[in-house]
Amino acid sequence: MGAEERVVARILERFPVLEGRVFIQKQQRVVVDYLVRRDFEKVLDFLAHDAGFTTFHLVIGVDNGDALGFIYVLSNEENVMLLLKEKAPKSKPYISSVCDIFPNALWHERELVDLFGAVVENLPPGPRYPLPDLWPAGNYPMRKEWNPAYLDKKTMTYNPPAAVDPAEGGESK
Amino acid sequence: MNQRITIPIGPQHPSLKEPGCFTITLEGEKVVSAVVGVGYNHRGLEKACEARTYIQDMYLIERVCGICSHTHSTAFCQAVEALAGVEISRRAAYIRVIMAELERLHSHLLWLGVAGHEIGFDTLLMYSWRDREKVLDALALLGGNRVNYGINTIGGVRRDISPSECEQLRSMLDFIEEEDKYFIDLALHESTLAARLGGIGRLSYEDALRLGAVGPVARASGVPTDIRVIEKYAAYDEFPMEVITDEHSDVFGRAVVRVKEIMESIKLIRFALDNLPDGELKVNVPRRIPEGEVLSRTEAPRGEDIHYVRSNGTDKPDRVRVRAASEANWHSVAHMLEGDYLADVPIIIAAIDPCYSCTDRAIVLDHRDTGCQQVLDWEALRRYSVDFYRERGFDAKSIKIPERKIIR
Amino acid sequence: MLAALFHILIFPGLLFLMAYSLFFDFVDRKIYARLQNRTGPRWYQPLADFLKLLGKETIIPDHAAKKIFTFLPIVSMAAIAAAYLYIPLFLPESLYPFDGDLIVVLYLLTIPTVCFFLAGWFSTSVFATIGAVRTLTQLFSYEVPLFMALLAPALLADTWSLSGITAYYSQHPFYLLLNIPAFLVAIIACQGKLDRVPFDLSEAETELASGTFVEYSGRYYAIFRLAIDCELVVVSSLIAAVYLPMHSDSLLLGIVIYVLETLLILFILALIRTIMARIRIEQMVVLCWKYLTPIALLQIIANLLLKGVL
Repeated sequence: MGAEERVVARILERFPVLEGRVFIQKQQRVVVDYLVRRDFEKVLDFLAHDAGFTTFHLVIGVDNGDALGFIYVLSNEENVMLLLKEKAPKSKPYISSVCDIFPNALWHERELVDLFGAVVENLPPGPRYPLPDLWPAGNYPMRKEWNPAYLDKKTMTYNPPAAVDPAEGGESK
Repeated sequence: MNQRITIPIGPQHPSLKEPGCFTITLEGEKVVSAVVGVGYNHRGLEKACEARTYIQDMYLIERVCGICSHTHSTAFCQAVEALAGVEISRRAAYIRVIMAELERLHSHLLWLGVAGHEIGFDTLLMYSWRDREKVLDALALLGGNRVNYGINTIGGVRRDISPSECEQLRSMLDFIEEEDKYFIDLALHESTLAARLGGIGRLSYEDALRLGAVGPVARASGVPTDIRVIEKYAAYDEFPMEVITDEHSDVFGRAVVRVKEIMESIKLIRFALDNLPDGELKVNVPRRIPEGEVLSRTEAPRGEDIHYVRSNGTDKPDRVRVRAASEANWHSVAHMLEGDYLADVPIIIAAIDPCYSCTDRAIVLDHRDTGCQQVLDWEALRRYSVDFYRERGFDAKSIKIPERKIIR
Repeated sequence: MLAALFHILIFPGLLFLMAYSLFFDFVDRKIYARLQNRTGPRWYQPLADFLKLLGKETIIPDHAAKKIFTFLPIVSMAAIAAAYLYIPLFLPESLYPFDGDLIVVLYLLTIPTVCFFLAGWFSTSVFATIGAVRTLTQLFSYEVPLFMALLAPALLADTWSLSGITAYYSQHPFYLLLNIPAFLVAIIACQGKLDRVPFDLSEAETELASGTFVEYSGRYYAIFRLAIDCELVVVSSLIAAVYLPMHSDSLLLGIVIYVLETLLILFILALIRTIMARIRIEQMVVLCWKYLTPIALLQIIANLLLKGVL
């Protein structure tokens, strides 16, 4: 049994409900499919404290249409990379910070706040990253509906054409 | 002296080559706290990638960073190749390795010079950058450019290495090897260097793991992490690899790791040149990439690069996420700075070999505004630069740089 | 009267000092560059830099004390030029020798350092303030060994005048060898005075931008730079006068000897600058008080004992 199978077996042993949602993508890559926040926190806690996934690499924000996805990449000592996915609806993009477990997640989570508009709870205070301070509020450039062509770089306002629903694109300050 | 002074190092500061802001609170000369501020270079690369085809993205990704451009494009190409389900030829994989190791040579020599400058040792800067020129020439020979070589393409590489180029590479390697022996000797035995680098910027083995340090920073703390060994991407599975680690856990250790890695890279390039297999340079990859997601890792000179690519069946990616090595190392910097002297702040920051553009994943190119269509080949460009300076009263030909005779 | 003015302002006074300091700067940069495998500047580069700086816009920070801010470069330049007059250069005697001119020269040379400190302090920028504090810390560490090292030969010669030192050592040239430890201490300590690597902590480009001078620009900065160059000449001349007092009665031969001596000292200084990294402030304090001061003190004790024997 390879390292990947051991990881899958370990997760399924603890969370039998995840049967069919944990799979080996390829060598050294294990994927846990999108979980809602409550389940995600349980699985992450188990992985970090009991299953030996002590290294945090990055978190990838993705836009899945009506939901936002957050892919946490962890690895263990056997160098198995685990893609742990979390989802949250775009209208209520609440997730909790993992900084208490992995301190190096700080910048990545700030990036989720700025670029995807995720609301990360318990995020340590600090400067925003990576957008400039004069960035128009409510604009999350990595969301699919946000189009860089509508950003007026002189006034730093986002002016979508009338056809686009203003509630979607976000009002300028 | 109990009064605290807060000084901003950056965003514009002579010791930072790129904008970053370090708010340092001092008590006397001691650093009590440091706040890292980056983000000045964010130019929306990931968003730009979503609007372009894979092959256009490849060139965009190559410009994430000027120094480690090849590793970034390798990581991206690997991801797309994995999504498309193609395997590149061994020859292409070997050429990728050669370029990656040449890049490591030039990056580490560059770092050595910067480190020398940060501690006021400009002689080291001049020596190591003089030698780095040789590596840049070799890169220009193979790729056509000193930086951003453009040698990768999705499905293989764009340019072959001819036997005569191999010979030139070998003579360059002999030169760098001799020089690096001198640098290793210097790093290990020069007393002011040891006095300035030893014991500062400490990062223990546990902290390196906890804060997710990567690359030479982690290896200098004794963590044997090297993606070339872990992932065995490109052709690294066939190479005899030795992971250089050091137990000093300070800036001195990082310097030692880097100068020793130069030696290791030279060995790898020699091995690749000796065993360069025959084969096609490029295999065809369909324009439309089937749906899927992949996480691709490479070892840049500065540490681990991670690229995440998600495709949606079209010729444009759905999501590209780039995590460069510097981004992982920022977390360690604030930790390393605390408790050290102000005088050590620049070298500690420099010791992770920071790359702000990498962190912020940059660049939006506007092709429409570039009216200049002049294309110069390498020799013409070199002639142009020589003439440019001669007109201004500086004749580069009058400088006699001895090949091996170096004033020491 | 006219002759005195000529001596003070033109030769071997102010004008000669400035011209020679620019030449000195060139030689320093050239040696430095050649040791680093670079081409180095043309001979007129220091002059070109100076003239260019003169033509640049001068900016005085709002919070700076303007009068002191503009006054300090001139004070430091004047102090250095005054010190130059009391050092025997080409002839066995300086222009206006008197008993105790060695002490006066040493104190005149402290004025520029204090000026640098005040310049940094009154610039009211954080970088400049830290640079200023470092200047003072540096002053307290190198000043004692430097003074002791320079006074030791005078003790042996039983005189406080530079001309007296010259006369004494011309009679007993071999006694110069006794002062070699003091010479080495002086060479190392004067790097601190001159703000050169490894002791260029108050300027420390990579840490403090340019430390004390960060707010200076245009002609005030040009005068400061010139003062620093002149200081290099004056300190080299002083070391040459104290440790290598070989003067000739013929003016021409005297000039040749003077140039050779000072260039030799400059070469040593440039060599140290090339092979060393900048050290930290606390390392400098340790170096000066733990090693240089005891050596200089031993030299003084040895010279006092020797004086009884000889």
